[in-house]
Amino acid sequence: MIADFKERYERAVSDPDLRPRLLAFQRSWRQSRDAQVARLEQRTERSFDDLRRDFAAVKDSTIERLDDYIDEFRANAEAAGATVVELTTAEEAVEYIAGVCTARGIDLVVKSKSMVSEEIELNDELAERGITAIETDLGEWLLQLAEQRPSHLVMPAIHQKRQYVADILGKELGREFDPDNIPAMVASAREGLRRHYLAAGAGLTGANALVAETGSIMVVTNEGNMRLATSLPDVHFVTAGIEKLIPSWADAERQLQLLPRSATAQTLSTYTTCITGAQPGKEMHIILLDNGRREMRGDDMIGAALRCIRCGACANVCPPYQVVGGHTFGHIYTGAIGLVNTTFHHSIEDAAGPQGLCVSCGACETVCPVAIPLPRQILNVRRRATESGHAPRWERWLLRAWSMPQLFRAAMKLGAVASTAARAVGLVHRDHIRLPMSRRLSWRSVPAIPAQTGSDLIGDRRPQPTLASTPAAGTTVDLFAQCLANRLMPDTVDASARLIEAGGANVNLPPNQHCCGLPAFDAGDWDTARTMARSSIEVLGRTDHEIVTPATSCVISMRDHWPQLFRDEPDTLSRANAVADRIHDLAAWLDGPGRLPDGCLERRVSGSWTAHRFCQSSNRNDPGARIDLLVERLTGETSLPLEEPEVCCGFGGLTSIAAPEVGQGILERKLDCVAASGCETLLTNNPGCALHLRAGAVARGASHDTQHYADYLAARLPDNPPS
Amino acid sequence: MISATDRISQFAEALHAAQGEIAYLDSWDELWDFAASLGDDVPVVSPAAHGFLRRGELPDADDPLRSIADRLVGITVAALGVAETGSLLLIERAPIDRAVSLLTRHLIVAVGQDDIVDDLADGFRWLADQPRAAAYATFVTGPSRTADIERSLTIGVQGPSRLTAAVLT
Repeated sequence: MIADFKERYERAVSDPDLRPRLLAFQRSWRQSRDAQVARLEQRTERSFDDLRRDFAAVKDSTIERLDDYIDEFRANAEAAGATVVELTTAEEAVEYIAGVCTARGIDLVVKSKSMVSEEIELNDELAERGITAIETDLGEWLLQLAEQRPSHLVMPAIHQKRQYVADILGKELGREFDPDNIPAMVASAREGLRRHYLAAGAGLTGANALVAETGSIMVVTNEGNMRLATSLPDVHFVTAGIEKLIPSWADAERQLQLLPRSATAQTLSTYTTCITGAQPGKEMHIILLDNGRREMRGDDMIGAALRCIRCGACANVCPPYQVVGGHTFGHIYTGAIGLVNTTFHHSIEDAAGPQGLCVSCGACETVCPVAIPLPRQILNVRRRATESGHAPRWERWLLRAWSMPQLFRAAMKLGAVASTAARAVGLVHRDHIRLPMSRRLSWRSVPAIPAQTGSDLIGDRRPQPTLASTPAAGTTVDLFAQCLANRLMPDTVDASARLIEAGGANVNLPPNQHCCGLPAFDAGDWDTARTMARSSIEVLGRTDHEIVTPATSCVISMRDHWPQLFRDEPDTLSRANAVADRIHDLAAWLDGPGRLPDGCLERRVSGSWTAHRFCQSSNRNDPGARIDLLVERLTGETSLPLEEPEVCCGFGGLTSIAAPEVGQGILERKLDCVAASGCETLLTNNPGCALHLRAGAVARGASHDTQHYADYLAARLPDNPPS
Repeated sequence: MISATDRISQFAEALHAAQGEIAYLDSWDELWDFAASLGDDVPVVSPAAHGFLRRGELPDADDPLRSIADRLVGITVAALGVAETGSLLLIERAPIDRAVSLLTRHLIVAVGQDDIVDDLADGFRWLADQPRAAAYATFVTGPSRTADIERSLTIGVQGPSRLTAAVLT
């Protein structure tokens, strides 16, 4: 039995060792994996993107004609003496394996690593039928001894620390182990598992690929246990999902270019074993399992998840995974892919718990070796979880309230009055208030709400004189202030207007602006998201001006989420697209239609700032994502290097509220990098991130200031520009 | 196509990166002397290697794995070497063919210098052309390893802890 999500979450966030260990793992993996991919690109003279799209196309076309490939595989494997069975459910797979064991009098099975066997919870099921299954992969064996499950697809015991391993090995083998002598603990596997190999009646393996042209299985391992498990016992079971089919050996080679490099950052794993048919005098049973895969195939949002080759890369770059680990970020399948496929292999209930942990940063998709659109799929599953009643009630209420502009404004006004009082008694530091908070929230401060909104400021001021003529000069540009920035960062709205005006354009602020719908979309509440989006489409659809916003996330929302929200409403969709076609991120604008010339702003202190790049746009390589380059170009100042500049800051929409420890953990990782940069000013490009980064920096008493780059740039506009 | 010399040096570099070792030997006799110098007991040899060496101890036909379970030095033969990855392709249809490569502590794999191909794609092309070979074929890349305990890379788990490619020149 798997504990319920809340319990898993609590356990994870109260383990002080987990975060640092997973952080070290993610950083070292990233380095070695990037080096491997660079070498692969050099060797093949092709980009990672081209290589992965090629192999993804192989997987897609195979899955499209799955039945043909299954038939071909079955014919070839059976001609080589194997038995191939295609089974629909986990129960059927368990019964089949147990049935063969019982008929042969087998009561001990040695197992090589197989995620499908985890998926069907084979060990427990066999135990109930009097059959013992022993894991022989070292990590899996350690988990079995500790009665735990894998917390990572390829590094199953990544969450266990050496002292713990020494304890469980000591209990199993009846002698003491020195936790600092890892080689001795590793060597004990040979001793501890030997008798099981010799006594087992069957060996069970998974398959990384099923090769249709010859009916072969291909298995990639490092320890040598898989070869032992298939050499000693007389019966060999293979448990594999039907999505593991590939047409040919040439495709197997394509898969191997991507799999070990993405999994363990190896050029090739130690053993790549290809087995065709039963060995002389032995039996081979290949179980091809559906268990929800055909349903995935028929789902146009989810089908691409069947490309997955189980490398685990999506977990290795996932900021929330680093904070809570795979027992919490996932179900039996862990990492980003687990947030998607659990719905189909297990249930929506099992998938629902961790949905709120994903910060939608998009890092997983950048490293996925088969280019699965995981961020988009997760949002889609989250919607299903929310619609089937699995979202917290407070979240629904909050979003409903947010979707009502009057209520939102009233609440903000109230906040502004309180903030003014707080300011009067000196509680406000860097526009944030440190409130006495519970332990769970003590890492953050709250933004003081200014008395005036962004729209107030824009209405009350004289336009910025033209600094340089740009392609947009003489045109009128609509400014989308964004709900958060308008209320909490009014100066940023004003700064954005002045930067647009410096390029000779006139700024118009369409009245009655509110929210693009992003927070509700992210939370899976598509009905509320539609309400918010419709109002923004209406407000922004009254002109045909180009639209600019300092809120990078809203650009993504309009371009990416609106088409999903209105796919069944053609009229709204065309109006939504018309608005989305006109929207520009401010940074992209200042490099594009409103491009200000190099060095046109004042150069003040060089080498005093660094930039956190909004993760979503960085991970998609959107125009304007490189705000560091923009600020350097316009001011002539140079930035300080920042480690992990595109890793999420931990805001993640509602994640930092629903799972404060996750918001805190990711933020601390970010602020540690910021502190190491030695900067005086941290620039960033999305209001939510700016507020989150400042909330954490003020709470921890960090010495740096946090600014939206628009504020930084506008402060460097010359007072008397040349006429 | 790369030159034979480049191919061998690429192979050596990739094998070293996978913690494997390499020895350049002129003949099977030299290979035998090399293997015999590594330990006190007589090297065990796979049936394929025995065909060339005509000496050494073969695994017991009735119980091949048990018979050599903890022997120190073993010798087998690869069908191919792969320059790109430093891999050796072992074709081992029956357990008796596999016993030496599975269980000896220091495995020596002989490979002809002309049998080293450029890359893994060549290796799989060869395999696709030899349907019988794929009955049980393994690309072995270095000694067995794990990083399952705190990601600490440990060489030598359930398979060999040393692997030497003996390139026959």
